Amino acid sequence: MKIILSELKKFLPELKVESTKLRDDLTMIGHFTNFFEEIENETVFDLDIKVNRGDCLGYYGLARDLSVFYNIDLKLPFSREVRPQDGVGFLPIEIKTDKVTRVMAIKLSGLKNSKSPKWLQDFLKYHGSKSINTIVDLTNYIMFLYGIPNHAFDTAKSTDNLIWEINSKFKEFTSLDGSKLTLNNEILMINNPNKALSLSFWGGESCSIDLTTTETIIELAIYDRTTVRQNSRQLKSVTEASVRLEKDLDPELIPQAFNHLINLILENCDGQITSQLFDHYPNKITPPQIEFDPQKPSLVSGIEIPVNFSIDCLTRLGCQSDIQHLTSDILITPPSIRKDISIEADLIEEVIRFWGYYKIPTNEPLDFKNLPDITPPEIYLIESLKDQLIDLGYDEILSWPLVTTPTNQKTVITTENSINSEAIYLRQSLIPSLTQQLDQYTRFKLPEPQFFEIGKVFSKEGNKYIEKNSLALYNVDQNKLISDLQQLKLEGKIINDNFFEIIIDNLPKPKKYIPQLIKNNAVELNSQIITLDANLTLDTKEDSIKLIEKYSKIIGSEFLWKLIITDIYQDSKNSQYKYTFQASYFNLDDKKAKNLHLKSFNLL
Amino acid sequence: MNQNLEAIKNQYIDKIAALKTDKELESLRIELFGRNGLINNLFSKIKDIAPQEKKQYGADLNQLKTKLETSLLSKNVQKSEKLTSEKLTSTIFGLPKIGHLHPITQTERQLNEVFRKLGFSVYNSPEIVADEFNFTRLNVPKDHPARDMQDSIYIKEPDYLLRTQTSAIESYLLFQKNKDLPLRAAFPGSVFRNEKVNRSNHFVFHQYQAVVVDKNVTIKDLIGTMDLMFKTLYGQEVVVRYRSKYYPEVAPGVGPDMQCFNCHGVGCPLCKYAGWIEMGGSGMIHPKVLEMASIDPNIWSGFAFGMGLDRWTMAQKNIKDIRTLMGGNLAYRPNEL
Repeated sequence: MKIILSELKKFLPELKVESTKLRDDLTMIGHFTNFFEEIENETVFDLDIKVNRGDCLGYYGLARDLSVFYNIDLKLPFSREVRPQDGVGFLPIEIKTDKVTRVMAIKLSGLKNSKSPKWLQDFLKYHGSKSINTIVDLTNYIMFLYGIPNHAFDTAKSTDNLIWEINSKFKEFTSLDGSKLTLNNEILMINNPNKALSLSFWGGESCSIDLTTTETIIELAIYDRTTVRQNSRQLKSVTEASVRLEKDLDPELIPQAFNHLINLILENCDGQITSQLFDHYPNKITPPQIEFDPQKPSLVSGIEIPVNFSIDCLTRLGCQSDIQHLTSDILITPPSIRKDISIEADLIEEVIRFWGYYKIPTNEPLDFKNLPDITPPEIYLIESLKDQLIDLGYDEILSWPLVTTPTNQKTVITTENSINSEAIYLRQSLIPSLTQQLDQYTRFKLPEPQFFEIGKVFSKEGNKYIEKNSLALYNVDQNKLISDLQQLKLEGKIINDNFFEIIIDNLPKPKKYIPQLIKNNAVELNSQIITLDANLTLDTKEDSIKLIEKYSKIIGSEFLWKLIITDIYQDSKNSQYKYTFQASYFNLDDKKAKNLHLKSFNLL
Repeated sequence: MNQNLEAIKNQYIDKIAALKTDKELESLRIELFGRNGLINNLFSKIKDIAPQEKKQYGADLNQLKTKLETSLLSKNVQKSEKLTSEKLTSTIFGLPKIGHLHPITQTERQLNEVFRKLGFSVYNSPEIVADEFNFTRLNVPKDHPARDMQDSIYIKEPDYLLRTQTSAIESYLLFQKNKDLPLRAAFPGSVFRNEKVNRSNHFVFHQYQAVVVDKNVTIKDLIGTMDLMFKTLYGQEVVVRYRSKYYPEVAPGVGPDMQCFNCHGVGCPLCKYAGWIEMGGSGMIHPKVLEMASIDPNIWSGFAFGMGLDRWTMAQKNIKDIRTLMGGNLAYRPNEL
């Protein structure tokens, strides 16, 4: 979410911190701020708002948090209460569903709509929204300020007969941006008897406000958030309004936002109120009462947090309390806007986040505690097998659990929404993955591959999903594979000459096994391995391994894959020794590999 | 394998075994893999195969190709140059081939060791999980917006899915061991999300999580233990900050951020100019999560924290493409030269 500093300061006139500090403070109290940027003399912050803080999807909620954190006053914008004149009629609005938590609506007439003033255009631009006209832009402005979506209907197109209902008769809906959506019977809508007018989270083209609009019904509403979320998913449509209406919003905030909006429209577009105020709020929500032990923030955090700070913090957050003694439990009623506070742990969290996590020491980890070992034995078995395999020279690979071809059609588990249309099956064997890995190694001309994988294989028996741990091996040298299996005491059939697979769940398991701590190399290959020969003539016979070590050092480890001596000859004429080296290089093209090779063996 | 292809394979394996010189080897390589070689000819005939057999034939042919390629590649033959000198040995000298652990396993073991020393067991649970264990028992009821944080791969929607987080292992742990308190357990595990696979995203992630349930557990214990873990992984100089963060399964929630190792807090594209990189999530286990596991939150408390291992492992091994971790281009030099 974007926040403009100048707009935030309207709620917090005493806010006087550097932008960098504000960014860090917002993050520390839970509103992760990615960055801020200066745009045309404005400072714009980019925040990630937590899913449980619907109240902070507007400036007002965020400002409330900052007023507590900085201990400064929160100022609400002045808005006259909407008071219709005597004699105006009631709106013929019908609410036919219990999915409406609260809706306030009123009719304004004699309006002169126009292009928006520059401040409003700029505000929307910084929030990534397009300016439409003054009335529409003001409705969006209020949504950004309070986090409550709202809507304006052009009554010349919609009539006054607005009906909030679950759709039962309309098949199609065209949104404000012209998108055509196919409706079903579960969609919460605002209609008139003849036309689909609006979704709960997206206005419709059929009653849109334009520059000719002179009369409108303005509504602010909060709905059952599960319904909005389901509708948004069903219609594959996410809007600024749906993002907010899916959260737990505060119906008690509607009058403040509503008054502010109506005042702004009347100030900017003239006109007057021509209906009574419609306010549907059938089930007033009672905030919870929570028993709070003022010692708990200290007990939970592990550091001393003064009781007075806890009480003061909660009071500044707008909590009501019945404080008798600071030593006993207090009954706390959180403010209605804070839907995320419902149990004592939430109150404790509030106190600790404003006290500051940075005050908690970072150098006091848990001490050792001797507890019964609950490690499943198969974990010890897997670790032990891995160590035995790497001791035998095998490399470990990991592969995708999703495959394109079932090994056994009868028992395969098929995913319902895989990552693509081909890899839809859960693997039943590791051999296909190892085969793919071998293909890749062959393409890279990797010499003498021998590798293994230990992973889950899956199958279905009736309605039961079965997972087993499997070990699969590949060795280019079949004889070595056979002798390694004997050494590992693994029995089974060799597959396709060089592969082996076994379900390990039934193998004997060690009671305890502490695995080796190993830090070995791993390379991301991006081209073929290039192997080159070098013949060197030496006057004396040298230790071959020392020669390999010497030239490995000269070549350097950055590109050297492998270095061996394949031949040693003694010249019968002059008694000199000829050594044939074979060096393999990785992630180098032919030319660079050759250059490095010639330079390293002094053959240039 | 198709019978014809099986016969071809056996015929050429014998031929490869009988090769003596590099000239013979090159000649056979051209016979098999040259432009007009046997393998290309066999591939060109796929179009003549019956449609229902095409897929299997293609797979068999690929298998044959790989087999013959690797056999040729691993064949040691005599050099054909004229020798005027005496060969001293027929041994090939080189450092012994050593085996390698996958980088993710290396990191997991490093962390397991840290936690073993604090009395933690290592734990695991199935990868196919019931919705109850992946979400509901973690205080994420159906239609909770927090579910949108994770796109699931369903086996049978909405009941069974591939676990999206190692917190699912925590659910099993609390459910299965609720009578064995206090407990300490750490669990590395693969988790799965419905993400498009590309250079920077994968549908398989590797996470590491640790859980403690005991009496009088504090956030100080949590932060101190997490910091120990980060210092083990990233070194003593690492700068980590701890802040308020939301996860439905914890309250209070704590988010660790590491000062960006690329820009040291100044701000750069890697850290999206924040100067910090989010390292995972943690917090005190939510009382509702304990209650759902039949653990009395008035007596027991605990903490949980989890972090992803993939990004860190990639940075450690200079791996640029996340797909490398799950097969394909990952390889190991045969010895530490």
